[in-house]
Amino acid sequence: MNRGQYIAIFIGLLAAFGLFATATRGSDEGETVAAPAAADNDRTDTADDTAGDAGADATSSDTTAAPAPVLADAPGVYGMQGELVDLDGWLQAPADTELSDFDGQVHVVQFWTFGCINCKRTLDNMAALYERHQDDEFEIIGVHAPEFSFEEDVDSIASAAVDLNVSWPIALDTRKTNFRAWQPGRRFWPRTFVVDQLGQIRFDRIGEGAYERLNETVAYLIENPPTELTPEAQWMSR
Amino acid sequence: MTVVDLLLEGFESAFLPCSVILLLPGLASALAARQESTSALAGFTIGSMTLAYIRFSDRGLDLPDPVIALILAVSVVLLLIPLVRRLNVVSGLGGLAAGIGAGALWTPCVGSEFGSLLVDLPSSGAPGALQLWVYMAGVMAPLVVVGAFMYVIPRGAFLPVRPVMMAVGGGALAILSLATAAGLIDNVIGQLVEWSVT
Repeated sequence: MNRGQYIAIFIGLLAAFGLFATATRGSDEGETVAAPAAADNDRTDTADDTAGDAGADATSSDTTAAPAPVLADAPGVYGMQGELVDLDGWLQAPADTELSDFDGQVHVVQFWTFGCINCKRTLDNMAALYERHQDDEFEIIGVHAPEFSFEEDVDSIASAAVDLNVSWPIALDTRKTNFRAWQPGRRFWPRTFVVDQLGQIRFDRIGEGAYERLNETVAYLIENPPTELTPEAQWMSR
Repeated sequence: MTVVDLLLEGFESAFLPCSVILLLPGLASALAARQESTSALAGFTIGSMTLAYIRFSDRGLDLPDPVIALILAVSVVLLLIPLVRRLNVVSGLGGLAAGIGAGALWTPCVGSEFGSLLVDLPSSGAPGALQLWVYMAGVMAPLVVVGAFMYVIPRGAFLPVRPVMMAVGGGALAILSLATAAGLIDNVIGQLVEWSVT
């Protein structure tokens, strides 16, 4: 065989690999709910998350049918929540809303943008979580930080929120001031934090996934509200 | 999280808008390097993977925009002007500079596998670096196809189209450099993304 034939075979294999990749990704979405991941105090990651992800990718009705499993142990503390400043306003919330309005509630703060495919893929689980805890002291705050200029248009954000079934308050962080402040080192879309009633961050996830852990953390915090800051949080807030 | 899962997730994201800023300079480098596209792409791969690891493992080196613009401008010079007779070396260095610039500008898609990797990356050392590079190999698979295609073409075939390749490849890198210097890179990439999705 000459050099060209080797290259042709290589390209053919790459194309076959691409088809396989596409097919594999598609089949993941139809899987049924997986068993809850084992609970521990470590940061969410690795294989347990992947098992949980398959469940979270199931339809909203699947995820809302049963009560959320609750963590066996208290989730760790990753720091104190920041502020939301220099916003361009709010959607689906009064214009004078502030982050402190959610003090005393468990709240999820998610940095997202409507053009980001990975952000969109988290929204089914978010919607199910929102519905499941609609009668609890719980809120989701979507902080919309546009990656590209076409994602800055408020009408487009509002329209996307309807299309994507985002019914919770959306803070408009057009200048990405808060996106940068909450992620001082590495910055990614989406980034999801769970904040407890005292303002302590109890869950921190970059990107998709870890849905079981997210749901369990929220359920744990609602059932077991902290009464005082942990020593780590006291040290961090000094 | 397996290596195959990471590779597949990277390959999937190669076709998403978030990968435009990584793939476009790579393609431009290959074109600008003409018959030395393999060297340029090899340099580009090393540069982008190294920068991505430094940034995503929280080891600092968040380059300011003027520095990135300068690095991209250097890549244009190295790829278009034969400063020394060893054209493959110069092209490789040009690709390396373009890769560093692209790696500094790139904000990747973060799926579940890559998200898990990113959580551990600051503390996982060499295994984490290897996993990141596996993911990036998936993202850059289209560049491998381009490189293979250009490799198989006889060198003489480049002669008639060399000016076009230099203009398109060098021009694209120069526009990226100027846009970065002017603080307009998000607008340029946003426009490209908008075109790609419509």
